[in-house]
Amino acid sequence: MAAAVAASASTPQGVAERRGIPAAAFVEDVEAYLRQAGLDVNSALAFLQERLQQYKIVEMKLLAQQRDLQAKIPDIEKCLDIVATLQAKKDLGEALIADFELSEGIYSRAKIEDTDSVCLWLGANVMLEYSCDEANALLKKNLENAKASLEVLVADLQFLRDQQTITQVTIARVFNWDVHQRRSKQAIKET
Amino acid sequence: MQQGDGTEAQVTWEDQQNINRFGRLNNRLHELQDEIKLAKETNENLDDAGNELILSDEDVVRFQIGEVFAHMPRDDVETRLEQMKEDAAKKLERLEEEKESILAQMAELKKILYGKFKDAINLEED
Repeated sequence: MAAAVAASASTPQGVAERRGIPAAAFVEDVEAYLRQAGLDVNSALAFLQERLQQYKIVEMKLLAQQRDLQAKIPDIEKCLDIVATLQAKKDLGEALIADFELSEGIYSRAKIEDTDSVCLWLGANVMLEYSCDEANALLKKNLENAKASLEVLVADLQFLRDQQTITQVTIARVFNWDVHQRRSKQAIKET
Repeated sequence: MQQGDGTEAQVTWEDQQNINRFGRLNNRLHELQDEIKLAKETNENLDDAGNELILSDEDVVRFQIGEVFAHMPRDDVETRLEQMKEDAAKKLERLEEEKESILAQMAELKKILYGKFKDAINLEED
């Protein structure tokens, strides 16, 4: 029986979990793993499959959040653009004439004169009036927050996908080990 | 433990990390392909807009900012459009460069992983 002592040596494999997502334990040696966990092959495979499903569910959630953020960022940038245009027009002393959609397919013209303030939609049926400078500051802060959140989210997704990959590889290895075992036992029986 | 035909390579932590890295690169590659498609469309649209602008002879052009169409003098619109085209072209170039880099890294990893695992691993697009 080959010595399986080396199998339980701890390797620096990074964090044990990230923001509530448990890390997948990397298996150095399949046999030692099964013995330590006290599981037979089928139970181990079932456990790993369930872990994989849980990871998939979290992935769906994170992907939805990512899509929301990715839609929000261009919106904020457009708002910043409008505020900048209004300010530029104010500096020129001109009014801004804009065509806007009144209803589907119907547009109307507006003349926006000497604006010192803009109204920003904050969500939850709330709209607040800000001076152009305040609006700029608020929008820029929101943009930075959104971009930062997106970065964290992307890192979370990468971590999650790594754990999925590790789990999938472990499932394959456990399965192969089992096949190997059966073949060996068969070979022994036939001799 | 009896070895069967004993040629199964063991997966080390380093191998696992390589596999993980390959997965990450592959994901990023798919995202990039979508982003590149969008960027190319944007570039085309801006080119079309530029052409339309040249063809039209109005002095005041309605330029879309956000949800509204602001009336702007033609020169301003031209300047803006040029800037947008330049930004879009740079963005596309950046994306293509990233894609090349990723493809190169993936080729490297494939060499390493196929070298060790041969048939036991499949790294192709399904």
